[in-house]
Amino acid sequence: MVFRKKECVAMILAGGQGSRLMVLTENTAKPAVPFGGKYRLIDFPLSNCVNSGIDTVGILTQYQPLQLNEYIGNGLPWGLNSASGGIHVLSPYSKAASSDWYKGTANAIYQNLSFLERYQPNNVLILSGDHIYKMNYAEMLRQHAKNKADCTIAVLEVPLEEASRFGIMNTDASGRITEFQEKPKEPKSTKASMGIYAFRWEILRDYLIRDNDDPTSSNDFGKNIIPALIEDGKRLFAYDFEGYWKDVGTIRSLWQSNMDILGDKPLLDMRSPEDRIYARNYSDPCSYIAPEAKVENSYIAEGSTVHGIVKNSIISTGCVVEKGAIIENSLVMPGAVIEKRSVIRYAIIGEDAKVCANARIGDDPEFYDANKWDIAVVGKDKEVEKNTILLPKQVY
Amino acid sequence: MKKAMGIIFSNIYDSTLGQLTGQRTVASLPFGGRYRQVDFVLSNYSNSGIFKIGIITKYNYRSLMDHLGSCSDWDLNRKNEGVVFLPPFASGNTGIYKGKLEALYSAKHFIDNPDYEYVVVCDSTVLCNFNFRPAIIKHIESGSDVTCLATKCKKPTEKRNPLVMKTGRGHRVSEIRINALAEAGEYEGMGMFIFTREKLVEALEEQNSKGQVHLERDYLQRCFNEGTLKITVYPVEGVVLRNEDVPSFYANNMALLDKKVRDGLFAGEDPIYTKNRDEAPTYYCPGSSVKNCIVADGCVMEGETENSIYFRGVTVGKGSQVKDSIIMQGTKIGKNARLTCVILDKNVTVRDGAVLVGTPEHPLIVSKGETV
Repeated sequence: MVFRKKECVAMILAGGQGSRLMVLTENTAKPAVPFGGKYRLIDFPLSNCVNSGIDTVGILTQYQPLQLNEYIGNGLPWGLNSASGGIHVLSPYSKAASSDWYKGTANAIYQNLSFLERYQPNNVLILSGDHIYKMNYAEMLRQHAKNKADCTIAVLEVPLEEASRFGIMNTDASGRITEFQEKPKEPKSTKASMGIYAFRWEILRDYLIRDNDDPTSSNDFGKNIIPALIEDGKRLFAYDFEGYWKDVGTIRSLWQSNMDILGDKPLLDMRSPEDRIYARNYSDPCSYIAPEAKVENSYIAEGSTVHGIVKNSIISTGCVVEKGAIIENSLVMPGAVIEKRSVIRYAIIGEDAKVCANARIGDDPEFYDANKWDIAVVGKDKEVEKNTILLPKQVY
Repeated sequence: MKKAMGIIFSNIYDSTLGQLTGQRTVASLPFGGRYRQVDFVLSNYSNSGIFKIGIITKYNYRSLMDHLGSCSDWDLNRKNEGVVFLPPFASGNTGIYKGKLEALYSAKHFIDNPDYEYVVVCDSTVLCNFNFRPAIIKHIESGSDVTCLATKCKKPTEKRNPLVMKTGRGHRVSEIRINALAEAGEYEGMGMFIFTREKLVEALEEQNSKGQVHLERDYLQRCFNEGTLKITVYPVEGVVLRNEDVPSFYANNMALLDKKVRDGLFAGEDPIYTKNRDEAPTYYCPGSSVKNCIVADGCVMEGETENSIYFRGVTVGKGSQVKDSIIMQGTKIGKNARLTCVILDKNVTVRDGAVLVGTPEHPLIVSKGETV
């Protein structure tokens, strides 16, 4: 079989367990976590690829891949059901001599070098399956080519006080990376790595093979591969990204990035047609907004029925909000039911969860000390009994 | 296993729907916020395991082809079966179709397929969520030549139906009237039939040789009266909407505001599929007021609206008031407009401050792409 040579193949790391989102990810990989009413996290890198003209994508799954595999299917919703390329789910597999789980981000790609080899790409793009952002990778790849770079890393300006949470890139005037600091105590710059790497194929292959031969390596791009490239004096460049980007590793950041799509001029615009995010659609009918409902500054997805009051919130596909229920500043995930007179404030309600009548979930931060307050969470498939009170920060 | 194939007529009633079918077939007429009428019959076929489908078209079928694409959204992009367009095959003694019988005759090469024992034939104007499996089993058991799907009248009707039937024991048809009013207890046809293929193909040959074109009048009624055709009714219960003209199209859209009607069409096990558009969910701005509305994805609501049906990607500007209206895909309503009882077709632009008023019997229609 002959494979057509590709300019660029994207590899999406989607094996994450997302332990801090556990109650929302039970039995699911983190990239399958719902977002914004009808999306899942994986939709962002997949749609960005398609919008950037990349038609060959490998998705590296490992942890609880059933729901994610089902969701991705043949890639049709993203237009990736292509005969020459398309979407490929790459799970760990048994080999003649040994069989291994993916040990780290670099090891996951290493184990699939033969997949990349078939397409002989000029460049390989390494992406994460759990970041929320809209980005045209074609621009990054153009700069990568112009710089004759071996590796280009997308970076984001972060406030100095937050820089110690990220991998920080120090660059010279031309944008060439001179030093990489992983979570530095005293950051020298504010250019944080977004975990988006464009590699020249030969460089990536050689360094992955070398990395695999090193038993002391933890097989991680940030910890091992990038430092090794810098040490060898390879041409590494930073690509400055301006725009919205969020790593939704925690409940709070997941909630915050959902809130960021609301408003007249949202930080993340889900409605702009030129960089649309695609999702698998299910056959839900239209939403129904009842005469007694009141909806303000909110997104309501198809398939949901609203009888209550919804403010500054996201109601996902197939949800029911019964009469007298109040939902404020919250994310209600697909298929959840909020019964009569329940009050939900600053909360995330998991997929297919049920909040029975008169329950109170979460509350406004202004009534609490900052260290005692956080988003209240009802887990996936959970049922909250009637009259239950769930305080802020509590997880059910 | 004995299999059934499906036929869809896409142009029936085009003439009674005025501007709405100016640039499209009645099959591709938008309905209920996110659907086209053909979605219902296609989904019914797909859900019933009928995967070999022919769509008989006459004219204006570009929008229908555009809507269906590869039919993957209906799970009908099959390797060995799937959907085939059957446009007029204008050669020999056939031209543009005058009636359904003639249309079926020109699709004879498609229908006369020995792999399929039964042929299900449907208009695209009668909307319901119906699984054909039990009806086909009943058709086989009854030994009939034709089974007509029909609804039972509870009280005398005021609107004429193309096919009114009286039945006897075992739902055997005992009388057929064409374009007639129905009495209580009689059955009104739904433009949905199950034929036994061999008998149908035989009849198509014979009727064509006599120059007959009309399915109900020339074939069903005449042959029934001659005693050569055994017809049974399969009574359909539940929600059945007939969109045969503008007032009924308007009323049936508005009927979706009733939970019982919505549940009857959408709450069951079998979904109604449609083309995906990848719109974001609908955004309700601060200060907007939306009451008793059906809303598809991709809308932006800034104004006030009640008792209306919104298709995908509609915007309602600040200060506008929209009541009792049907607003189709991509239409933009400016600021401070007042709309009552209107049907705005796709991609209409309503200028700031415009006032448009219709009545439920005569809703004001604005054609596709116009600016008012």
